Amino acid sequence: MIYKVISKAEFKRFIDALVQNNSAFGPRLVDTDSRGESVYQFQPVSSVEEIAFDYTRTASSAKHFFLPFREELSQFHFHDDDWEQNVSYEANPVVLVGLRACDISALNILDDVLLNSHFPSACYLAKRKNTFVIGMDHLPLPDCFCKSLAHHTVSTGFNLFCSDIGEKYYLSINSSKAFTYLKEFQTEEPSHEDNCLLTERRKLISRSFQTEVDVTSLPSILDIEFDSPVWEKWGAKCLNCGTCAMVCPSCYCYSVEERFNIDLKGASRNRKLYSCNLVDFAVVAGGHNFRPKNGDRLKYRYYHQHRGFAENANQQICVGCNRCGRACLAGINPKDVINDLRMEKESCMICVSQSPART
Amino acid sequence: MHDMRFAIPRQDLNREAFASSIPEFNRRSDLMKTDMGYKCRITNVVNLTDQEKLFQLRIVDPQERRIFRFKPGQFLMLELPGYGDVPISISSASSNHEFLELCIRKAGHVTSALFRTEPGMHVAIRGPFGSSFPMDEMSGNNVLLVAGGLGIAPLRAPLFWINEHRDRFHDVHLLYGAKEPSQLLFSYQFDEWKTISHIRLHTIVEHADAEWKESTGMITELFRDISIDAKHTYAIVCGPPVMFKFVCSYLDRLGIPMNRMFVSLERRMHCGMGKCCRCMVGSTFTCIDGPVFDYWSVMNLKEAI
Amino acid sequence: MKNPVYTFEKLKFASFEFTCCEGCQLQFANREASLEAFFSLLDVRTFREISSEKHDDYDIAFVEGSISRSDEIERLLAIRRQAKTLVAFGTCACFGGVNSLKNCHSMDECIAEVYPGLPVETLPIRKISDFVKVDLSIPGCPVAKKEVERIVVSLVTGSLATLPKYPVCVECKEQLNTCLFDLGEICLGPITRAGCDAVCTTGKTPCLGCRGPADDINFPAFLELVGERGLNRSDLKEKLGFYNAFEAYPCQ
Repeated sequence: MIYKVISKAEFKRFIDALVQNNSAFGPRLVDTDSRGESVYQFQPVSSVEEIAFDYTRTASSAKHFFLPFREELSQFHFHDDDWEQNVSYEANPVVLVGLRACDISALNILDDVLLNSHFPSACYLAKRKNTFVIGMDHLPLPDCFCKSLAHHTVSTGFNLFCSDIGEKYYLSINSSKAFTYLKEFQTEEPSHEDNCLLTERRKLISRSFQTEVDVTSLPSILDIEFDSPVWEKWGAKCLNCGTCAMVCPSCYCYSVEERFNIDLKGASRNRKLYSCNLVDFAVVAGGHNFRPKNGDRLKYRYYHQHRGFAENANQQICVGCNRCGRACLAGINPKDVINDLRMEKESCMICVSQSPART
Repeated sequence: MHDMRFAIPRQDLNREAFASSIPEFNRRSDLMKTDMGYKCRITNVVNLTDQEKLFQLRIVDPQERRIFRFKPGQFLMLELPGYGDVPISISSASSNHEFLELCIRKAGHVTSALFRTEPGMHVAIRGPFGSSFPMDEMSGNNVLLVAGGLGIAPLRAPLFWINEHRDRFHDVHLLYGAKEPSQLLFSYQFDEWKTISHIRLHTIVEHADAEWKESTGMITELFRDISIDAKHTYAIVCGPPVMFKFVCSYLDRLGIPMNRMFVSLERRMHCGMGKCCRCMVGSTFTCIDGPVFDYWSVMNLKEAI
Repeated sequence: MKNPVYTFEKLKFASFEFTCCEGCQLQFANREASLEAFFSLLDVRTFREISSEKHDDYDIAFVEGSISRSDEIERLLAIRRQAKTLVAFGTCACFGGVNSLKNCHSMDECIAEVYPGLPVETLPIRKISDFVKVDLSIPGCPVAKKEVERIVVSLVTGSLATLPKYPVCVECKEQLNTCLFDLGEICLGPITRAGCDAVCTTGKTPCLGCRGPADDINFPAFLELVGERGLNRSDLKEKLGFYNAFEAYPCQ
């Protein structure tokens, strides 16, 4: 990592050069909701002026730039009663501006699952390698809880990370590409004062968190509370709409579908991002559904998010961005669900007999 | 007014140089094989019952045929282009590098389409995937193989393995139950297993017909006919979940340690690679951590049975 | 060698309309890019909108529209007798559709309003599955041609022809739309079957549920949501009743 500082005006010129010469996406204001709050999304940008650098959060994560909602995995061509398969990993260079530390952490988690595992995903790799990620720090929103999961800072997984130190940005340069582009702009070595300002900035961010979720020993609590009535309670609210998984930066579960082309001369195998909350997620051949109840499916999402699976070394994959909590129409959010579960657990530990809520 | 200095160069994953630039991806063929199947010719189709067929496949490319190796208990994804793919356990001998055998029940739309295929046609396979039965660890012991219905399909690979290494095992029992005599699969091999492989075969059906001379009832009743030295016995149990729950808890009472009983779980895999999460059971994936689990792990998995 | 898995026959196809606007059938002519390929899958035996020829030897019948006269019932039963596969095509056929608004009034009132003084017979609107067995439903007002193409291909090839089981929210989120509830609207997206690519909500029009309820919806939770957001209950009732697609989910 190489560190530099850049004036905000010069930084804008740098971003403009990148954005103008590449296919680029950044946070843009898309709506104002009925409470008067601004709604942002990662949208195409063609000049620096279009980027809302002071954005609060995007409603949806940047996951789909790497793991599209729908994607073709392979093609078949039929000829003379036989077929040929074609697999191609095409990805065009993309610049992503303004990802938060938690968003980049989520990409690192996806790297773990999709790249550093037994069967790496080449589709994902092609997109990951062709995406230039520029991160920017921010002061947490009242409901952000990434600090509880230690994802409020990030030290890898980006090309460039920018910390706002007042008049300037403190740049963490993590790729030779970023370094090369920055050579064309006026940057300076960080002074002692810049370093102090960065430390102050980090302290301020760390101090500003208002939401804390206790995730200690959560994997074991989730195992022990597998049959907890908490799941039924939250399951009763769940609309099974899959919104949480769609906006989540680290939910990656998918479905594979194969279809004939309309001319019947070929077929394609496609992947579609799915959600464990959707009703047919655990349906098997013959129609049996292993998780017919709302609560069971909701539980699985938490199980996956907060217990982790063997494929990513049992690490929690939630980064604490609370996008699912904000987007959920039923008001289900990780903080309340986990606290509920802990209460359930703690009451069990206090009383020797079974928790009254279970009878 | 494009300024090429700031245009990010495109990295092409289809080019060898890029794929090998990352240590984990230095074997390009592996990377491609996750989405690309091995083309197979259907060499034979045997009608076992009206619901089950045995497909014999041969990988077309000689080099791919050399690479494809599996262990007893593993499965593959069988793809009929256009229709989709299904996870199928491999029913042939792991030493047979020329042909693969898959025992398939007509259950969904992909298998229905597969039932219309004929010898000479091509299908694709990906894999092999998943865990296997620890045949080496079992050596030197008695083996109890328990199959219910289609559960005989994943048991055939370990059966072949035992046949080929028969001197490494003491007593080998195969307990095989089905609903009706006509649903017993591979009955044409029973004599071979009994006389050549010295496997003690015990069959049972729930509903006997006039010609049926063996036992009638639930599979657990077969345990009355055999004596097991629990200390030196490994068990492999395959069949519907309700069956292996009964059988395994019975074997547990007999004193066979839970980590010496193996079961094969079934879920609907979409990717086979531990990615799509469709087959997750508890915190494990049936496709990566399974399908073969020891009973201790299954007991610890939520909602496995 | 003829490959039995990749040898396909055209569908002996017929299309019929009952009480409707025939807009769904018009969708057959949509998506010009794939139109030729699409019609090469069909052996059209009867289809009033595209051909004056009429043959009764069809295997598959697409039926658009709801039932509002007794002669329509007779015609529908005859179609059912001939067709091996009967497809309810469009929201009117599947649920009654917008025509069902008529059911809020007495039949005399309706005749007096529309055909004053004329000897017209009219019945309350019914969906076609009230009279005949329906093999497959393709809902939508109008149907989504992309989905029709997919289902026709599935019928020709004998592969799986199903609708998404999940609600519109999934597809709406794919489009990165702002949730219409957050904009103060009542949207039926969370309870309506997906497959339309969230075309209405992407245009900032709340979903009116033309595709009917998704599988296993949590209707009580949806009512609670509307209540908690302080949205107008009668507005909700109007939306639920618009296509008559939520008959099974009464809202007091």
